[in-house]
Amino acid sequence: MAPLKVGDSLPADVKFEWAPITDSDPTACGLPQVYDASKEWAGKKVVLFSVPGAFTPGCQARHLPPYIEKRSEFKNKGVDIVAVIASNDSWVMNAWGKVNGVKGDDILFLSDTKTFFSKEHGWPAGMGDRNGRWAMVFDKDGKVTYAENEKSPGEVDVSGAEAVLAKL
Amino acid sequence: MPPLKPGDKFPENVVFDWVPIKNQDATLAGSPQDYNASSEFKNKKAVLVSVPGAFTPSCQAYHLPPYIDQFDKLKKQGVDLVVVIASNDGWVMSAWGKVNRIEGNDILLMGDTKSFFSKNHGWDAGMGDRNGRWAMVIEKDGTISYADNESDPSKVTVSGVDAVLKSLQK
Repeated sequence: MAPLKVGDSLPADVKFEWAPITDSDPTACGLPQVYDASKEWAGKKVVLFSVPGAFTPGCQARHLPPYIEKRSEFKNKGVDIVAVIASNDSWVMNAWGKVNGVKGDDILFLSDTKTFFSKEHGWPAGMGDRNGRWAMVFDKDGKVTYAENEKSPGEVDVSGAEAVLAKL
Repeated sequence: MPPLKPGDKFPENVVFDWVPIKNQDATLAGSPQDYNASSEFKNKKAVLVSVPGAFTPSCQAYHLPPYIDQFDKLKKQGVDLVVVIASNDGWVMSAWGKVNRIEGNDILLMGDTKSFFSKNHGWDAGMGDRNGRWAMVIEKDGTISYADNESDPSKVTVSGVDAVLKSLQK
């Protein structure tokens, strides 16, 4: 399917795998559950960004940390949920959140291994099953207000926290 | 191909995806390189352990830590190195090593995403692309002296460090 574009709505039945962060010890494994994004995001303003892989250089060094640092700026712009997805499983995503000092549901670390949102409604990376590097914003009515994909998954530009904040 | 069994030789062209651990900060991603196990294992006694996934409950709780804790006992039995593989990539394996405080070159964690050793020469988990849970001992001349697979991948018995130690003491 074609990637979502501005004006489209979040599809029904978008599910991710989620192991909530309940402590800060990455050697204590989380408990995976299904996260029904179509339901959970109803009536909420959501920033969703996708990365090619947890613990990988580009994602770690330049993509994730600015989202963590600017979490309060997103909140000031009315964003209820910031979520990051990758094709890693939810245990790996959970551990990635923990080693980056993320607590609770400040930023949701979700695994795109259930309904393959990036492939079906976003952009793949063109590297095996890996997710592309992109960002989308969903408004409270579920409408897409921003959807941009990096031309090169090694770069962080249109999908970065700065670019998304500038559009909010 | 059928899984390797005792008496078989470790095959050529076995390559893993390795991101060497150079510091203890799991937020610093390292550089991936190919690890040619067929040449690196030459003249070494190696224990190769496969797990279904980094950061997963059984692997973390019962499988990896005992290998770390009891490495000295393995060393006394002549083991030069322990290599732990999973279907995760080298970056995830490296981060898993770091949070388990692995340092040095005795225990190496690698991605089995290059030559798919577990699928081609060991056992898979029967859960998508995941590796099975098993252990092999490779002698200095490349002969397999132990190879056993968990019949239930959520259990750690024949692939655990205790079972491997027992086989080494024979």
